[in-house]
Amino acid sequence: MANAALAKANLHALRQVVAAIEEGRQHTGKLDEQPAAHAAAGRLALGIEAFDGRLEGGLPITGLCELRAALTMDAGAATGFALALSSLVQERLRPERPILWISEREAGREAGLAHAAGLVSFGISPSSLITAHPRRIEEALWVAESALQTEAFSAVVLEVRGNPAKFGLTESRRLHLKAREARLPLLLLRQAGEEEASSAQLRFCVEAAPAGLRRIGRYSAPGTIGHPAFRITVEKSRNPAPFAFVMEWNADDRQFYAAGQDAIHASGAAHPHRSPAAPADGPDRADPMGRVLAFNGAFSRAS
Amino acid sequence: MRISALDELAERVGLRVGQGIAEARACLPELDVIEAEPAADAKLLASLADWCGRYTPLVALHGDNALFLDVTGCCHLFGGERALFDDLAARLFHMGFEARLALSATPGLSYAMALASRQQVLPTGEEATMLRGLPLSALRLEAATLDGLAQAGLKRAGDIMDLPRAPLARRFGPDVLTRLDQALGREGEPVSPRLPVAALSAERQLAEPVTGEDDILALATHLGGNLEETLTQRGLGGLNFVLTLYRVDGKVVSITIRAPAPMKAAARIAALFRERLAAIHDDFDAGYGFETVRLSVLATGPLDPVQPDFASAGRSDLSLDDFVGKVEARLGSGVVRVPVLNESHIPERASALAPFNRDLMDASPVSNWPARLRPMRLFAHPEPVEAIAEVPEGPPITFRWRRTFHRVSRAEGPERIEAEWWIDGEAASPRDYFRIEDQGGRRFWLYRQGLYGVGALPPRWFMHGVFA
Repeated sequence: MANAALAKANLHALRQVVAAIEEGRQHTGKLDEQPAAHAAAGRLALGIEAFDGRLEGGLPITGLCELRAALTMDAGAATGFALALSSLVQERLRPERPILWISEREAGREAGLAHAAGLVSFGISPSSLITAHPRRIEEALWVAESALQTEAFSAVVLEVRGNPAKFGLTESRRLHLKAREARLPLLLLRQAGEEEASSAQLRFCVEAAPAGLRRIGRYSAPGTIGHPAFRITVEKSRNPAPFAFVMEWNADDRQFYAAGQDAIHASGAAHPHRSPAAPADGPDRADPMGRVLAFNGAFSRAS
Repeated sequence: MRISALDELAERVGLRVGQGIAEARACLPELDVIEAEPAADAKLLASLADWCGRYTPLVALHGDNALFLDVTGCCHLFGGERALFDDLAARLFHMGFEARLALSATPGLSYAMALASRQQVLPTGEEATMLRGLPLSALRLEAATLDGLAQAGLKRAGDIMDLPRAPLARRFGPDVLTRLDQALGREGEPVSPRLPVAALSAERQLAEPVTGEDDILALATHLGGNLEETLTQRGLGGLNFVLTLYRVDGKVVSITIRAPAPMKAAARIAALFRERLAAIHDDFDAGYGFETVRLSVLATGPLDPVQPDFASAGRSDLSLDDFVGKVEARLGSGVVRVPVLNESHIPERASALAPFNRDLMDASPVSNWPARLRPMRLFAHPEPVEAIAEVPEGPPITFRWRRTFHRVSRAEGPERIEAEWWIDGEAASPRDYFRIEDQGGRRFWLYRQGLYGVGALPPRWFMHGVFA
């Protein structure tokens, strides 16, 4: 599998050289880097220097990473973080391929099912997501493994509930190797789970953090709930010192910002499609006519 | 308790159907009585019909003890009508059935012949002669009509065939003439098959029965290769495939697969059967082996021919279809789903997880996208919470959900969503949604159902979803 992928990458590079010759350009004589390689050394930078620095350049884009929500009620935050990461991977590396979200039935019952409208307001196109709902954990692992054997997906999210005995060190090692072979990220989303030894390269504990205020132009509206914020605790990484970080996901820019940093970027840049929410004590207002969507190129292509 | 069926021995003694059990026992004290099971009989007949699928795909059930086989165009596969007839008779005899068979140009005549024990293959052109000698009771007429005919002294079909038609119809009803015409082929009588007829099928009869799953898959690949040519000629791909395995002892095993998109490549079809076989491994009983294997395409769809190019565009599409097909063959259909947006204001209707379908993935138009913030995950059933609000119409300040106490730090709303009266009725109450952040920073979507002062019950609070 890995050889096949490598061969494909080389083939791609060769085609580029041929194209360059055909167009009469001077080709450099050496193969161009494959497009996937612009993420530094197989890492996906989240764009927050302090965070990326601690993770040696960002999230590894191949292999298994675990996102753990200690409580079921943090599942929303953990799901959001997992989907945001996978949509970044999709956008930057394989824009035409969907994300697969495998969710054990039990996990879906406890924490709710994917909501298409919610995905949209989180900045993810529903058409870029495929969900699988196997009944049992063994089936979920089989689906994950099958998904890693195809070239259909840009990222795979595997959601399990708790610490099932049938998903131990051996199974996680197996999945990690498969994901490495397939050069795909596999995000393990663990609901209401304890810390446990696994083969994941990284383990984050994801909790919800109080959101900032919603910004309208350059002012923040008091009493409103702004962009979703996450408190990410890195529990396992090569960097021995555990650390925690609070970041926000901006669904309009589709980017992470360190908490409070968003203000700099968002000010001045209006997001016309997002109507300011009504405060708790005022009447609701009608949507403006003719919305404009400010999604990026990859996103509008996908939809 | 009455006798509903008899075996040969009992018939010879002189018992008859409809006789009381007590009376029969008086005649023959050592009588063995087994309670009738019409359901089991029907099941047996259905499985026999399945087995008859080896001769023709058009097998219809008639009543509780008859099968119609439309063998038009199938006889040459068995070496002619006579050979097919003998083969069927011999196989049924060896399976232990006492069957009466007749083969003629029309189902009506065949039925009448079988009922009158004229077990033979009727050459074309002799229909009228044969029918003339058959009793009217074999013509599938109602009992009242038969009584009327008998009172007039009409017992054989020949008695009425030459009578003027109009008075006959007036006196005994139109049924008599219809049945007569059907038997003679003057009126068409289609056999309505029990199972959907395959659009295409390929079959292989084996000299030596096979038992191994690998052998069966190899045969499926081979048969798929046969179908592939025809599918290519027609520009079609198969959506539903059935692999029918005829076991030596007469049991028929059908394995059905559904492809997520039309496909025709034998290797891809076989790959789906491989998953399906792996999933039903425990229930799959090869017994003494399968002697006939048939691969049928039940439903087809247009398959646009794709010209392969050097950039191998569209390759990932194929792998997605293969993945979905594989997962659904193993775990059942509906496991793989795609989130879709619908035209509705009610959140649970506004988006749904629909079974995977390539067209659905691109179907949500941008204009459908709601501008309102919606939760990432929605509960299939809103969960009741105990909430306390500062003012009746306002957002909650505390609430208890799943035995956990949450203190609200911020709330946005209300966003009132009225019920859809054209579905829920006019009495359905509106919901006021609040986007809530608790002191831990978790964001929830709560709603209050109902209005104060309207209706007998006070409004209730529900948790409907969680935000990221």
